Amino acid sequence: MTRLTVRGIGKTYADGTEALRGVDVHAADGEIVAILGGSGCGKTTLLRLIAGLDETTTGAIDVDGVSLTGTNPAISAVFQEPRLLPWLTAEANIAFGGRRLATEERQARMESLLARVGLAGYGKRWPRELSGGQQQRIAIARALIGHPGVLLLDEPFSALDPFTRASLHDLLLDLWRELRPTVLMVTHDIEEAVVLADRIVVMRPHPGRVQETLPVDLPRPRNRLAPAFDLTKRNVLRAINRSLAEVPSGPGPTSGNGFSPWV
Amino acid sequence: MVGLVIPVGLAILWEIAVRYGVVGGRLMPPPSRLAQTAWALARSGELLVHIEATMTRVLLGFALGATAGTLLGMLNGASPLANRLLDPSIQALRSVPSIAWVPLFILWLGIFETSKLALIALGVFFPVYLGIFTAIQSVDRKLIEVGRVFGLSSTGIALRITWPAVMPVWIASLRTGLGLGFMFVVAAELMGASEGLGYLLLDGQQMGRADSILVAMIIFALLGKASDSVLVALSRPVLRWQDTNRMRL
Ligand SMILES: Nc1ncnc2c1ncn2[C@@H]1O[C@H](COP(=O)(O)OP(=O)(O)OP(=O)(O)O)[C@@H](O)[C@H]1O
Ligand SMILES: [Mg+2]
Repeated sequence: MTRLTVRGIGKTYADGTEALRGVDVHAADGEIVAILGGSGCGKTTLLRLIAGLDETTTGAIDVDGVSLTGTNPAISAVFQEPRLLPWLTAEANIAFGGRRLATEERQARMESLLARVGLAGYGKRWPRELSGGQQQRIAIARALIGHPGVLLLDEPFSALDPFTRASLHDLLLDLWRELRPTVLMVTHDIEEAVVLADRIVVMRPHPGRVQETLPVDLPRPRNRLAPAFDLTKRNVLRAINRSLAEVPSGPGPTSGNGFSPWV
Repeated sequence: MVGLVIPVGLAILWEIAVRYGVVGGRLMPPPSRLAQTAWALARSGELLVHIEATMTRVLLGFALGATAGTLLGMLNGASPLANRLLDPSIQALRSVPSIAWVPLFILWLGIFETSKLALIALGVFFPVYLGIFTAIQSVDRKLIEVGRVFGLSSTGIALRITWPAVMPVWIASLRTGLGLGFMFVVAAELMGASEGLGYLLLDGQQMGRADSILVAMIIFALLGKASDSVLVALSRPVLRWQDTNRMRL
């Protein structure tokens, strides 16, 4: 049972940049929530605050009703880059995520996860001997080995080609079905959000806020070619366009938001 | 192997030139002469005494300087307070050319072993200190965050993230330090010593014996190379994860 509740979060960096203002996000137990939004609307900031890597300026984050301070064993993360420790082999990197487990359990889970991410036989390799997609698989295994209640993902697949990305979507869903973590996932990719998420939170920038939250009522496994899938994608795009329309033409880069309003 | 062509070729040419009386050979003795001198020194046991004296100084001085450099570098890299307190003084001392310490060391520590060791240790200290200090400060913040997310304490981060990340630079700085150790042992022994390869150099100069000077120089080169190779071999197992060329022998 892991519910994640983010209430009224605000973050202003030391240089005065207001990255987030009054953000509320809720993820029910075992739910996958995708966060969509253009560049600079505070998605990474939000995940870093939840992961305990940065301090909130206002608001509170709690897990199962308990308020979070700092990093927490219930929360683990996959970053945009694999961030494997280069001096550990693939399997030692996975085991690193399970430092709190007893040795035998850690070993057993490491082996099963290595196989689950399709890299049995690659355990003794150094990170530099793995492809980007393989490294990201190891990073996913590392994030899951310690039974996290909440898994944070910050654009974990954005550096990968579409084939690898699609296969990692399947992998992530498989693992999610098996382990049922609550997932909060940042992405730039509308299709990715619709394939994976139960709910999609659309954010808008200057300062980062929640524009709206859309449910994704599609049965799994989801068919990317089904008309209902397309419909949902359109709805998300409309929400994004609304968020763009309401952005005041204030200072800062206006063209680099990553979405073009074409619906 | 190709690199051997020029020195070996020159040696052979020189040998022939001296044999046929084209040139003298007193100031630049031919290889055969050097071999004889080396052999004679080795046979009498003298050579071993000199090598032992020099290597003892280098290794002791290196151990002292490297330990101090590593500890202070780690302290200043890890603690901003210690850094603000100590680093300015260390940097100021660093701008004094190490050899300039010689008179003071002799005055303080006498002309025997202690002042020699102090000089060598000082020479080794700075590259090691600087290497580890800069390396600690430039450890990738992203990897430190991985440590934090997966629940490492700050000690855990120091041991499991910072230390391995710093390792390659540390070893490279030890190699530089060892090289400087050999440089400073020569300086220390030229200051006055009754044994050691530096003594052999000085003695050769005073006796007008270019052959023993050259033998000492060649042995310095061999010892330096051999010690560096030992250091590289020792560090190889812990640096296997690296994919650079830097550590090739
Ligand atoms: N350490 C920091 N110090 C100051 N400002 C920061 C810092 N990190 C981020 N910001 C600012 O906060 C805002 C939000 O940044 P953030 O990285 O959270 O955006 P994002 O939504 O993840 O963007 P992207 O999609 O490009 O990754 C930006 O304006 C950024 O410049
Ligand atoms: Mg980001």
